[in-house]
Amino acid sequence: MIEIRFHGRGGQGAVIASELLAQAAFLDGREPQSFPFFGVERRGAPVTAFARLDDRPIQLRTSIEHPDVVVVLDPGLLRTTPVTDGLKAGGLLLVNSKLPPEEIAAPASVRRATVDATRIALAHGLGTASTPIVNTAILGALAKAAGVVSLAAVGRAIDQFVPARPEENRTASADGFASVRLAGPMEHGAPAPPHRPTPLITVPDGPLATTPSSTLHTAAWRTLTPVIHLEKCTRCNFCWKFCPDDAIGFDANGFPVVRLDYCKGCGICAEECPPGTIEMVAEG
Amino acid sequence: MAKLTLPAQELMYSGHAACPGCGPALTMRLVLKGLGPRTVVSIPACCWTVIATPYPTNALGVSVLDNPIEATGASLSGLRAAADALGYKDLNVVGFAGDGGTADIGLQALSGMLERRTNAIYVMYDNEGYMNTGVQRSGATPLGAWTTTTPVEGSSRGKPESKKDIMSIVLAHRPTYAATINPAFPEDFVRKVEKARDLTGPRFLDALTPCPPGWKYSSEQSIELGRLATDSGVFPLYEVEDGKYHITRKGGALKPVDDYLRAQGRFHHFTPEDVQAVQAEVRRAWEHLLLLEKETA
Repeated sequence: MIEIRFHGRGGQGAVIASELLAQAAFLDGREPQSFPFFGVERRGAPVTAFARLDDRPIQLRTSIEHPDVVVVLDPGLLRTTPVTDGLKAGGLLLVNSKLPPEEIAAPASVRRATVDATRIALAHGLGTASTPIVNTAILGALAKAAGVVSLAAVGRAIDQFVPARPEENRTASADGFASVRLAGPMEHGAPAPPHRPTPLITVPDGPLATTPSSTLHTAAWRTLTPVIHLEKCTRCNFCWKFCPDDAIGFDANGFPVVRLDYCKGCGICAEECPPGTIEMVAEG
Repeated sequence: MAKLTLPAQELMYSGHAACPGCGPALTMRLVLKGLGPRTVVSIPACCWTVIATPYPTNALGVSVLDNPIEATGASLSGLRAAADALGYKDLNVVGFAGDGGTADIGLQALSGMLERRTNAIYVMYDNEGYMNTGVQRSGATPLGAWTTTTPVEGSSRGKPESKKDIMSIVLAHRPTYAATINPAFPEDFVRKVEKARDLTGPRFLDALTPCPPGWKYSSEQSIELGRLATDSGVFPLYEVEDGKYHITRKGGALKPVDDYLRAQGRFHHFTPEDVQAVQAEVRRAWEHLLLLEKETA
């Protein structure tokens, strides 16, 4: 049995990638299983999905703690999410990245592969620059790098189960298959970190959650930032009034100040500002 | 500083887990502005469970009770009994539940709480579907709207049924006070919350809360959509106190529903006939409301 874990962000198609892989394996005559991790699947938030492939019916129903293959749909997750936890020795780490696989850090004895799935997706008009839909390109790469499913079956799964732009998605998977690059393990890699089980919580005899959410910063959700041109500001407070994140404060003179640790960039303040003093600017 | 038109105190903290441009998030912020700190909020399984309490944080500066999706009304009766037993006379007992947890799954508990005349405020934040689990239709999803369980493909053209009229269901229980609130009109919104706070007995607030991913529009449009909903008559603003209806925003002639529908991806498949069907339904409901206001004056 081969166990594959997908890491992506909400909106990128990690869950669909895992489902399509299972469908393709089924078309290849194998016994597949696919399911997402049930969590907070907000746009931009990290998401996990799982797939198992075998030649016999699969009885296991647990999440995958010791994968043979880890697929990372967003290279930014390498910095923020422990994607290689529990990855088996001799396993494979496949990353959507412009970099050659030799430049991807991986645990000892783990083979590395990279594919520029973002470039492939955008070349075929799949998704937008801020949210490219990279799942079919990376599935093609997975077919080649891990050899767990045939490219033909991936193509047939796309035809059957992808309602939007099957032609472009099929071509993207073929491009991923053709352009994936492989490298052996790092020479001086450390062993993969062990799987970290979710700690059991001892329920206290009292309030359970007493830390204010303002200890969490949500600035990383933002792709556009409000910039207030104060010379036109009338201090009407509309930006403050309508902010769903309470991310507008005031300076000593009563002029609005964006609390950048919390602003998610929704753009309501700019849209509602009567004199139009707020501009949404792309993050550099 | 220009005078604030709303209470300054913030009892909803930043850093919560709502999507950008979330209508329910702004609604919670305004509800707590109206209620103040002597409040306990009961939240069933819904978007707000996830928004408020990713362990070990709490997005609210008041006590929160998480409870099962069908149990909000019952939990309010229990909280009020506990507050009475402890001698807390000035505590606002408040339910904050989505449309699925109110109009569908939690309906019997809501009905029981209203019938028992529990001294509590129930807020339904209506995003017109099961949005937390990925946009499935609810009883509050409007006629013709796309959801993942009422798709627009093959013979399916969105939700075939009309929206459940939860205000009428609640009003049949003769609550002390019931009102519709809309975060696009925050002064009217907070005034009604303050009015509800100062009354006793069962009180109900019905909030229309636009949802960017569920309704398929760009997040900066949340307030504008709320405004269009009220000014087109899709979501009229009114209150009912002791059976007397009072419409709190009358802007002359209603705007056509077209602008409201066109702004949302969930209605993009509408034909002119579909728009007319919604328009006719909205006009009927509005005329009925005008009549109720006149008859109960």
